[in-house]
Amino acid sequence: MADSNPFPLAKDALLACYRRMRTIREFEDRLHVDFSRGDIPGFVHLYAGEEATAVGIMSHLGDGDRIASTHRGHGHCIAKGVDVVAMMKEIYGRIGGCGNGKGGSMHIADLSKGMMGANGILGAGAPLICGAALAAKYRKKNEVGICFVGDGASNQGTFLESLNLAAVWNLPVVFVVENNGYAESTSRDYATAVNSYVDRASGFGLPGITVDGTDFFGVYEAAGEVIKRAREGGGPSLLECKMIRFHGHFEGDAQTYRAPGETEDNRANHDCLKIFNAHVTGAKVISAAELQAIDTEVLALIDDAVVQAKAAPLPTLADLASDVYVTY
Amino acid sequence: MSTVLSNSAPCIGIIANPVSARDIRRIVANAGNLQITDRVSMLLRLLSAAGSLGVKRALMMPDKGGVSAMLIRAIAREHDLQHAFPSVEFLDMVPTTTVNDTFTAARLLREAGVKVIVVLGGDGTHRAVVRECRDIPITGMSTGTNNAFPELREPTITGLAVGLYASGQLSAAQALVPNKLLEVSINDGARTDIALVDVVISSDRFIGARALWKMDSLSAVYLSFAEPQAIGLSAIGSLLQPLGRRAPGGLAVELSDNPALRRLQLLAPIAPGMVRPVGIAQWQPMPAGQPFTVAQRAGVVALDGEREMTFDTGDRVQITLRENAFPTVDVATCLQLAADQGLFRHISQSN
Repeated sequence: MADSNPFPLAKDALLACYRRMRTIREFEDRLHVDFSRGDIPGFVHLYAGEEATAVGIMSHLGDGDRIASTHRGHGHCIAKGVDVVAMMKEIYGRIGGCGNGKGGSMHIADLSKGMMGANGILGAGAPLICGAALAAKYRKKNEVGICFVGDGASNQGTFLESLNLAAVWNLPVVFVVENNGYAESTSRDYATAVNSYVDRASGFGLPGITVDGTDFFGVYEAAGEVIKRAREGGGPSLLECKMIRFHGHFEGDAQTYRAPGETEDNRANHDCLKIFNAHVTGAKVISAAELQAIDTEVLALIDDAVVQAKAAPLPTLADLASDVYVTY
Repeated sequence: MSTVLSNSAPCIGIIANPVSARDIRRIVANAGNLQITDRVSMLLRLLSAAGSLGVKRALMMPDKGGVSAMLIRAIAREHDLQHAFPSVEFLDMVPTTTVNDTFTAARLLREAGVKVIVVLGGDGTHRAVVRECRDIPITGMSTGTNNAFPELREPTITGLAVGLYASGQLSAAQALVPNKLLEVSINDGARTDIALVDVVISSDRFIGARALWKMDSLSAVYLSFAEPQAIGLSAIGSLLQPLGRRAPGGLAVELSDNPALRRLQLLAPIAPGMVRPVGIAQWQPMPAGQPFTVAQRAGVVALDGEREMTFDTGDRVQITLRENAFPTVDVATCLQLAADQGLFRHISQSN
């Protein structure tokens, strides 16, 4: 064994991070299968391959810190601590889901965990998080807001206006650009005049940095600094995470825009879970058997979530008008 | 790329890194951020100047970070304005948005037979080019964060020097200058790498966000040169014992915050905006070719400011300074010779 743990997290915390990442992967891979069988209503956009970014960032947050997610929100939810069974029920459209089965994949929210919601409208999370961050600033509890946005959605006016607002009000916000290389299927070189998200931030006077989103430890360290800055009153910043999306933009996407062999190369050489495993087992901090035990435990968790989701009742017509207006 | 160039078609290579100057030092130290727009403008100025001296073609690394896309649009605009530019062709490679792109591009540019490779980036980008390709001369343009290797200079002037050499108006003996580097070997060559300016040993044992900025984890610094006006970890050496980039040998500095070992405390600009006290245990010259063995038992080796190689108890890490390791275009000398020989006057009269 090595002299000591070389990582910036204790072994228990590393295991917890691995469990969250593995849960996201298993959750998404199961949805990939179940959706293809026609079991799931609506659309799903899967986060598999991007787990290190969500968990690397969320490891620095508490329930009082708010996040605003995207249409690809399952990973953010799980990383923020939202109940996996309630999520599965929601995606299956069942009573007992996060929104009692009436929201589906793109509207999962759990305010008790600081998860303000996935969002079917691209770029819509950015102004929402500015509101949450303004509230945090008034509450003076050193809470922060994290907004996730895809590389395509960063062209939306809402996002750019939010960068401006956050800078003007010096809000405790981190704008995370999850750059998975594809705005649905459109090349950024075609659709983005200045293809740099850090440069977007510079235009509004915000510092921005880029990090390899497939490396948990790189994300963890970088996120730690930008979140610390926001928490201590240093104001907003932008974190671009370069990452890999294993599945299509949506389930059913034929992905004809990918280069030959790209998906195979991604899974073989750029899988953030394999990279994490190599780090922690290579340093002899965690054994392969310990990781395998978590894999088994997570598999059972997801199996159970699907069984519970399928067994839960569907909303009825009588439920249609409920929960339309909610008092917090 | 299978193209092999003839001497009658002066052609230069370009490797422009779209993601240099994007690391965590922008958060922790207010480091600068050279925008993509500015990088492209620099390339346009360089190409314009090189083209005015007869460079007709440039082969360039493609990227997904915005540089090549914006350059294509900018050159099309310049052509619409009837402005003359060398033709820019992109290497036949699929960008991966990793340092492997730089390795691949350097190899393809050598195979294509370019006379010189222009590098736009920081110390790390220059290091990656040299690691892959030590025999093709390079000339650097700094993206300006924490750079000691590429000199800050207006790209038009760099383009003129490149044009003088690539077009044959100045010979290799006139235009080029040899450089030193540091070789790192772990377990007698089982793992190897290089640094152009500094090798730093840190007690951190993970790569993480790569950049180094926390002094309390550093135990030793090995330098190929140390110029007092430089920013970054080489300042630790340069403020103890300056060492020119053309002078023989290198410099090894042992750091310690232990009062029993510390001989002095040095105030050094270790990163943009970060002037920090550094505990110095000892320092000594590094004669060329003599391996220095790292005393620390486990940690990470940082190359030109970025954590790159981890090592554990039982691993043997050695650092060796090499002289005459790779050539660069000496821009100042090229322009001086051009002035002395009236090269620009001649061009002016013939036009």
